Amino acid sequence: MLNYAVKRLGLSVAIVSLAMFLLFCMIYLVPGDPASVALGPRATEAMKEAMRVRMGLDQPVWVQFWNFFTGAWTGDLGEEVLSGRPVLDVVLEQLPYTLVLIAGGISWSVALGIPLGCWAAINRGSFADRLVGILSVAVIAVPSFVVAIYALLIFAVTLQWLPAIGAGEPGDVGDQLVHLILPSLAVGLGWVGYIARMVRASMLEVLEASHIRTARAFGLPERLITYRYALTIAILPTITLLGIGIGQMLSSAVFAEIVFARPGVGKLVYDAILTRNFPLVTGAVLVTTVIFVLLNLIADLIVGALDPRVRSSF
Amino acid sequence: MTNTHKSGLSRRSFLASTGAFGAASMAFPNMAISQDGTILTIRSYSDLQILDPAFRLSLPEDDIIRAIFPPLIEPVSGDVWEWKTVAAASIEQLDDLTIAFTLKDDMGFTDGYGEVTADDVKFSIERMADPANESPYAGDWAALKEVEVKDRLSGLIHLTNKFVPLWTTTLPTPASCILSRRAVDEIGGRIETVPVAQSGQYLLHEWVPKQRTILKRNPDWKHEPGGFDEIHIIPIEDPATAERGFEAGDLDYTWTSVSSLPRLKENPPAGSVVLEKPSLAYVWLGLNQDNEALKDIRIRRAIQHAIDRQTVVDAAYFGAAAVGNGIIAPGLPGSRDSVTYDYDPDKARALLAEAGAEGLSVTLDILNQSERLTAAQVIQANLADVGIACEIKQNDSGTFWSLGSKDGDYFMDLQLVLSRFSMQPDPSWATVWFTPEQVGVWNWERFDNAEYKELHDKGLVESDPARRDEMYKRMQALMDESGCYVFLTHEVVGAIHKDTIEPGLKPNGESLLSDFRPA
Repeated sequence: MLNYAVKRLGLSVAIVSLAMFLLFCMIYLVPGDPASVALGPRATEAMKEAMRVRMGLDQPVWVQFWNFFTGAWTGDLGEEVLSGRPVLDVVLEQLPYTLVLIAGGISWSVALGIPLGCWAAINRGSFADRLVGILSVAVIAVPSFVVAIYALLIFAVTLQWLPAIGAGEPGDVGDQLVHLILPSLAVGLGWVGYIARMVRASMLEVLEASHIRTARAFGLPERLITYRYALTIAILPTITLLGIGIGQMLSSAVFAEIVFARPGVGKLVYDAILTRNFPLVTGAVLVTTVIFVLLNLIADLIVGALDPRVRSSF
Repeated sequence: MTNTHKSGLSRRSFLASTGAFGAASMAFPNMAISQDGTILTIRSYSDLQILDPAFRLSLPEDDIIRAIFPPLIEPVSGDVWEWKTVAAASIEQLDDLTIAFTLKDDMGFTDGYGEVTADDVKFSIERMADPANESPYAGDWAALKEVEVKDRLSGLIHLTNKFVPLWTTTLPTPASCILSRRAVDEIGGRIETVPVAQSGQYLLHEWVPKQRTILKRNPDWKHEPGGFDEIHIIPIEDPATAERGFEAGDLDYTWTSVSSLPRLKENPPAGSVVLEKPSLAYVWLGLNQDNEALKDIRIRRAIQHAIDRQTVVDAAYFGAAAVGNGIIAPGLPGSRDSVTYDYDPDKARALLAEAGAEGLSVTLDILNQSERLTAAQVIQANLADVGIACEIKQNDSGTFWSLGSKDGDYFMDLQLVLSRFSMQPDPSWATVWFTPEQVGVWNWERFDNAEYKELHDKGLVESDPARRDEMYKRMQALMDESGCYVFLTHEVVGAIHKDTIEPGLKPNGESLLSDFRPA
């Protein structure tokens, strides 16, 4: 297991390094003068030049990359060019909002997807099974930004049951949860379908396994067989799926944060790209990449710990 | 200003008033509070990034800065460009080169920095004007010689030359906001996002990045108080998101997109008032005269005649905006009633034939916004009608605002560009961007006219409104004659607010936080 963990960790480091390189290349290729965009029409040439120096844009590109790369590994992501605040501080300020949003999305998808998947598997071939199948595909097919806009129009604007904008009163957990309902639904709804289908398929496979047949032969209650012996095994692929899904939820979070005017890393990156605030873009994307890779690593380690076949095949 | 008002009991107020839904109102305390008049919740289009008057970056920051660091004077809320005193008890122009001011008594800085004095005024103005400080707003005080302190509360602003826009676009802006000399020196000379030594009608109480800024009424402000105990400013970039936030009851006031105005005017949300204000912005189609394909003035004139400006504006702004005839908005000296070219496709075809430019292909760069795209599509159809193929190129804001810069590599390839600038309420703020010095900076048409430059310089020192009017009209006629410009519109500003508040707005719809009042 230790060998597996070390190899998997090394792969994660390589992925983060490659992601940093690709990110830097993309930023370098984006047109537009960051200094002009940041400072606006009143800035003189001298001010723009000073801003370029402050952003390190006067250095050769390989020097810029090396500075960014070495700084990143020591936790120094540079300074935000307009306010002069450390990029890491700015990103970490916004990160909890995005993590909470993704956690909310996962909660929706797990809370609805797993029971629906089980129900469909238990009632295989029935009308309920077909209905769950159709609904699953339907919610997968609807883009998260469409869910966001319609959820907002129905529950916030028309019915006025839930707030439309913001993340809630700082320090007031209840208010923050109320503000989380619609954005997290938008982020997680598509994943309800994925998880329902994944759980159904896994459950059908597990329910045919010999140890389940044995349990039935011993006369154990069906509920116990389903939820204690079958589901605990059938859930494993879902953990891996969720690890990958977090990356997609991060991109969905951008839309949710814009539509619901929520703070968060997604919106931070979006605004920073528009204003060519490159240190902020690189810092924020790097932090989210590290989190994504870490979560995948954790998911893989959990699966590896539970399933020896995974460890031996790596 | 036109108002559309619809009264009625909102579902939210109904819910709040019924015991059965008491739990619901407890779940949304901010919404309940915002209706009792003590908290005002408004939208700004960007979050604050810097609170230093000398280095401010956006209009929402102007609002906050003026509320916490009082300016000598500020614009009056309403439909006419006038000003009123804020920190100044009195202020007057003694002669062309001297302005005398006396501060109100009993104004104090927070954080133990004592009273606001004339020396602080001297510090605040001179630090902005000092080239060594590299303030982007140094030009506002380009005519400043020095500020002379007469006594504790009064002083004289000495100018090196007459500067007419001083009373319209310098003094009533954050360029006259007062900072504490001692406080700014102690923090190293520049205020970032944490204000020190505030002294305005409101104090910045809390800033949660990307989430909200809270201003609280300054308990030590001895003069006309702000209208609300607290102002909550929510940064929402997308106007459609803000409109939905307003309709859901989360905001008391917001700007709206122009495209939403017809819908909101026709069917305003219950208990709301829809406002329409004239804008100071100007939108135009620019033609790069140094581009190889557009060097022949007959081709540029042909394009001017090919564009049906009325249709372009009607399509892009859903009939809410009027056609504009220049860069200077109605109500200001130099505003025009017409342009010197008309919509005449036959004349356009004839000019193209004369120039041997049949079958011309051009590119049109635009910002990727829906109004610009619609306008560009009509322009594309107009050009196709006279035989010019037009390719529309959409750009994100970061790319767009660098297209014509001489520091880039595209400025000579740029052909047609649909642009929008905003301005201060003085015509010189519109004409300044089209001078020869601005070629390759913000003058992307590369329009280069010596008479224009001379008139612009004269306009800065001419105080006779009639003569200024004449000069600025002539400057726009020169722009017409160059064939580099097709003027489209000054747009319109839309806003919506609850009928429980009375917004404080400049004539162009920009907000004045201190003037928002409960209705």
